[in-house]
Amino acid sequence: MNDDMLGIILAGGQGTRLGKLTKGTAKPAVPFGGRYRIIDFTLSNCANSGVNTVGVITQYQPLELNAHIGNGASWGLDDLNGGVTVLQPYSSSEGEKFFEGTAHAIYQNIEYIDQQNPKYLLVLSGDHIYKMDYDAMLDYHKAKKASLTVGVIPVTKQEAKRFGMMNTDETDRIIEFEEKPEHPKSDKASMGIYIFNWSTLRDYLVKSYATDKSMEDFGKNVIPSYLAHNESVYAYAFKGYWRDVGTIQSLWQANMEFLSPHNRLNIGDNNWRIYSKAQVLPPMFLTETSQVNNSMIVDSCYVAGEVDHSILSQRVSVGMGSRVVDSMVMPGATIGKNVVIDHALIGEEAVIGDDAIVKGTATDIAVVGYNEVVGVEKP
Amino acid sequence: MKRGSVSAIINLVEPWEALEPLTTARPVGMLPFGGRYRLLDFPLSSAINAGIQNVMVTSPRSGRSVSDHLRSGRDWNLDTIRGGLFMYPYNDLKLVAPEKKATLIHHYYDNSILFLKRSHSEYSVVMSTRNVGNIDLKALLRYHEERDNPVTTVYKSVDPKQLMPQNTILQLTDKGMATAVIPTEKAKLPKTAKKAAKNMDIYLMSTVDLIEILDEANRRGDLISLEELMKQAVIQHNANAFEYTGFQANIHDLASYFAANMSILDEANFRALFYSSRRIYTKVKNEVPTFFAEGSQFRASLCGTGGYIEGQVDHSVIFRNVLINRGSQIKDAVIMQGTRIGAGTRIENVIIDKNVVIGPNLILKGTPTEPLVISKGQHIFRQTEVVTSD
Repeated sequence: MNDDMLGIILAGGQGTRLGKLTKGTAKPAVPFGGRYRIIDFTLSNCANSGVNTVGVITQYQPLELNAHIGNGASWGLDDLNGGVTVLQPYSSSEGEKFFEGTAHAIYQNIEYIDQQNPKYLLVLSGDHIYKMDYDAMLDYHKAKKASLTVGVIPVTKQEAKRFGMMNTDETDRIIEFEEKPEHPKSDKASMGIYIFNWSTLRDYLVKSYATDKSMEDFGKNVIPSYLAHNESVYAYAFKGYWRDVGTIQSLWQANMEFLSPHNRLNIGDNNWRIYSKAQVLPPMFLTETSQVNNSMIVDSCYVAGEVDHSILSQRVSVGMGSRVVDSMVMPGATIGKNVVIDHALIGEEAVIGDDAIVKGTATDIAVVGYNEVVGVEKP
Repeated sequence: MKRGSVSAIINLVEPWEALEPLTTARPVGMLPFGGRYRLLDFPLSSAINAGIQNVMVTSPRSGRSVSDHLRSGRDWNLDTIRGGLFMYPYNDLKLVAPEKKATLIHHYYDNSILFLKRSHSEYSVVMSTRNVGNIDLKALLRYHEERDNPVTTVYKSVDPKQLMPQNTILQLTDKGMATAVIPTEKAKLPKTAKKAAKNMDIYLMSTVDLIEILDEANRRGDLISLEELMKQAVIQHNANAFEYTGFQANIHDLASYFAANMSILDEANFRALFYSSRRIYTKVKNEVPTFFAEGSQFRASLCGTGGYIEGQVDHSVIFRNVLINRGSQIKDAVIMQGTRIGAGTRIENVIIDKNVVIGPNLILKGTPTEPLVISKGQHIFRQTEVVTSD
């Protein structure tokens, strides 16, 4: 239990790299693993870590996300003293509170944070697949008497070029920050997870927006400024499974990894459950002609065809003679008869007509958008 | 239907002996059904789908399983500020001490009367759980309002061959009025009869009339079930008879319970029960997706989430969180939540209750009319431990 730390999930990004899939919805609301949405992992981590008050900052296409989160009851976050608040831009006498970058998003919601009056502010992104105990990270933050603690994960030299890299001394104090370095000096990549002492961060933000308005982004602006002012900034090394699912390729890859019974994420671990908005749906129905191997299927699916190494989300139907291979199908998609789906991500409520072929490769995943209709002749 | 205008009493005090050992520790209404439901979910969902917000559930004993399932009623949208869910346990008089029983005379129906008075509802519907269906109670209310008799009953027109001794049928007049509820064997149906009006044990009447019936029973000192009182009311007042035409399953003993589960493996029945415009609600659980391993074969069957399937499953109802190991062959089975089946085990015409462990390389075999039943929590590792149900 932790009443001192307020969680803020940044869920406002557009997720342009997910292409069609985020045309009408925010990235954190994108379905994952058959019965989850990406943000479920972060929300469940909060609930499991005893972070009972959470603000979710939304901006881009928030409707589906808002409906999903509701009052937070699905995660046990409908707490009497706390709970989930969806924070959307609003207008005030100072103008409209839309935001440009991660730190600006916090600044625009300063009134909400002040209302909660936390000692520590936990800043999270809503688009990562992982299980992490934020309470352990807070213990570390306190033990180090840090002003800011940054969650880091070891990456290879090749991967380091895509991340903000933290260079530390032997006590894990961060001495240098490099954004997407060509020649990385360490293997510690920022996970976009921060614990701040709120009063300090608040001072930095307020001062900046009263003057040069430079504090737009945590990575680009806030961390360098903290380092320049000799604040005590520490790296907290996370060693578990962690995936950024910001691209079509990485989203597909993480889904395929999720399928493996040996996945390090260990989704079946009852001590650290991942919760999602529960829906009451009938059980799955597999007909006499179905053939399912190496696959995950959930409630209200109907399978008369073949499913191999794939994930079917709620209410998906696969017609007779169809074959779904190495793919992830999102909720409500209808796959007709004699269809081939291979190396693909199929969007919610998509309709794939009889005899259609949707075929990608391991390096070029085919994508069908939400509500998209493929291979059905217009009447 | 205006909110609050109808209240519902769901009566779980039902004959349970023929369903032992499945009902040893749970009322009939808490029997798991159809992969993720309990029998109680069906009448409860019918009530919710008609906008009924005042629901009382009477149960025979302490009702731990009942309150564990229903909790605040949130999953049925019954945790509202107006009305809501009311539990009324300890109604089975067989379990009540004689001195306590004496104090119940003239007071047995007090709680129901109190519930009805506080509901401020205009109508009340009384239901039980042994007839699985998905009935439109709004249509029932309209039917009732258009007719003159104080009580409306519900029947399903069935082939008399399908009737069981435990069923009751409605005696109908030419004008479609019910004059009595009688047991099948006393009905003296002509051998040539093609149809019989099977009583669905659903009764609708004005709340004032129901309170009067209960008050009168209290005055007489009755200690009989609500269901019996309703049957008496039909005889006393005559009743409108509403025909239900949807899917129905008849659950009275182990064979009929088994057959009812098998019947929803028929796709038409499955769709009629679960995919009408009226959804069936139940307690929601956070389970992981079910994993079907390489080499598994899962056909013509239902499955809940949280499962791990390696073996072969044919024509079976598999509930949540079931583990079926490699090389096992399962055919015509009902396997409830949390059960584990060992590698190489063969199962046919069997009902396996919750949290059972069946070891590897065993043979469990019943027949469709006498399914083998493995009761809750048993661990079976030797063939000699497999006891047939008689």
